[in-house]
Amino acid sequence: MKEDLMDIICCPLDKHDLELEVEERDDEDILSGRLVCTECGESFPIEDGIPNLLPPDMRDEAPA
Amino acid sequence: MREGERTSDADDTGGPDDVTHTGGRPALADRRDVESVYQPAEDSDLLARAASERVGAGDRVLDVGTGSGYVAATMAEAGAESVGADVNPLACRQARENGVRVVRGDLLEPFRDGVFDLVTFNPPYLPTPEEEEWDDWMEHALSGGEDGRRLVDPFLASVGRVLAPDGAALLLVSSLTDPDAVREYGRERGLASERVASEKHPYEELVVLRFTRQ
Repeated sequence: MKEDLMDIICCPLDKHDLELEVEERDDEDILSGRLVCTECGESFPIEDGIPNLLPPDMRDEAPA
Repeated sequence: MREGERTSDADDTGGPDDVTHTGGRPALADRRDVESVYQPAEDSDLLARAASERVGAGDRVLDVGTGSGYVAATMAEAGAESVGADVNPLACRQARENGVRVVRGDLLEPFRDGVFDLVTFNPPYLPTPEEEEWDDWMEHALSGGEDGRRLVDPFLASVGRVLAPDGAALLLVSSLTDPDAVREYGRERGLASERVASEKHPYEELVVLRFTRQ
């Protein structure tokens, strides 16, 4: 993901701002890291360049 | 038209043993391992055309349930700053490979208030009796539950939140989904609507509805 995505995404649980923690980047593309809610503290993973902003209880679920 | 899209593969390989429509569903075994990500069909194309006519350079747009990313990519080609979202991790990967900026998420939940000029959604809309549902990603992309509105209703209930003041949402539905009931549901949640495109197919009419905040 590119950093400008931060302008449009928020915590899916309480709609507060997220803080970006970068682990690995390829130029402007953030490949891995975390997005942490500044309010509730929930952490959302960035893997293979894709931020996973599903609520934790939906994260590993099979399709329903 | 998803029914046709589903059966076309069978037509290619099945010859005289074509899948027959009995209430509209081809045999599951024929589809099980073909695809796990919904690929662009007539519905995606109708929605993409309606959307690209309505976006301008620099517009911020979101395609919900983006699948392969087709509608999001079409809007990007039209000059928009486009993002796709999908709950399916395989769809997210495919959309990213197709050059779409992508977020894995549940409908509109991970997006901020008031940021989008246009939101598009080609939802699962086929009414599906519960006993016929099965549990995989393609089913998730196609089945709209008993009334076809399993995800249409929650989308309409929350899309107003993410729209910019002059923003609009384009929703693709089928005549099988009862577009009038969909519009009524939107109206009850403060959304005005109009039909902006439609296309007749053998089993259904596809309709693009445009919603704005009243």
